[in-house]
Amino acid sequence: MRALTGISELDSMLHGGFMRGDVTLIVGSAGTGKTTLALQYLVNGATKFNENGLYVTFEQMPAQIYRDAASFGWDIRKLEAEGKIRVVCTSPPVLVQFIESRSPIDAIIDEIKAKRIVIDSISHLETFIPPSVLRSELYRVVNHFKMKGLTSVFIAESHEVFGNSLVVTGTGLSFLVDCIILLRIVEIKSSLRKALTVLKIRGSDHDKQLREFEITPQGIKIAAAFAQYEGVLTGAPRKSFTEETVSAWTKAFVGKT
Amino acid sequence: MNEARLHELSEKLIGSEIKAELLNLFHMNPGILDTVESIARRIGRMPKDVETEIATLVELEVLRKERFGDLDIVSLNMEKDKEIQRKLAELIEGGAKE
Repeated sequence: MRALTGISELDSMLHGGFMRGDVTLIVGSAGTGKTTLALQYLVNGATKFNENGLYVTFEQMPAQIYRDAASFGWDIRKLEAEGKIRVVCTSPPVLVQFIESRSPIDAIIDEIKAKRIVIDSISHLETFIPPSVLRSELYRVVNHFKMKGLTSVFIAESHEVFGNSLVVTGTGLSFLVDCIILLRIVEIKSSLRKALTVLKIRGSDHDKQLREFEITPQGIKIAAAFAQYEGVLTGAPRKSFTEETVSAWTKAFVGKT
Repeated sequence: MNEARLHELSEKLIGSEIKAELLNLFHMNPGILDTVESIARRIGRMPKDVETEIATLVELEVLRKERFGDLDIVSLNMEKDKEIQRKLAELIEGGAKE
């Protein structure tokens, strides 16, 4: 029923992983860890859960992905040689075309018996496919993956690093996908930290907290919630006026009067 | 003898700068499945400059070009590539022994 990401804290937040056959959107600005999270989902699938996966990249070259993955101890070339993971580098029109006729991408999905797929990134589709047909083409891609029984992760780049507004994507993709994970950089005490939250899961409850996370040499590690802060999603949170601070304030000033 | 065959094969494979760039691109990134236009962009060249070089590599069967829908998709023929690499290694080894 569920496809575990293998990141235990995230699986808890998702109440047991992604719903099998669902499409999850990972949204974040540059440097938030979208690719790392998606790769970790594929690598864990192949190494821990016996679920092979396909990584489709439009811009980043596979050589760069192999190198970046190696820094987390993930040997993608070895997993490719074992037929557990494949990295395909292509362009958006090829991805859309492959649904119309049996193409090498479909052949790879069948060959490695892929259960997981990552598309990096959906933002590139927006630059190649006319806006008038983009949503319907995305709808077709989403449904094609569902019909093939794949649990998919789409990466979307958010141009806004900080700010009050939150636009997930400009294409209405957030309505087509089943789950949305938002990654955001926040400034706390003059240092940049990373926040993760699950915005929605269709048909399931989930943890609604904003959690701090780090990119460690082993991959994504999710920590506790930003309990003492408000406005974290704006990128510039302020400390909450907690019961603890109210009590300290009362003791310090009110009690003296 | 070996030297002549080695020269002929390497001339066919990497007889131009663009062919060498293409081979390097596909060896470093064997998962490329793309159109000529996109491949040209990936090596910072114009499609018209890359087209004939890709055609030569397709003729040598190092690359594959297949039509899907209305797109021609180019990919690395891994078996043939390995075979050619093996042949080159043998020729180089043979040349060293002569």
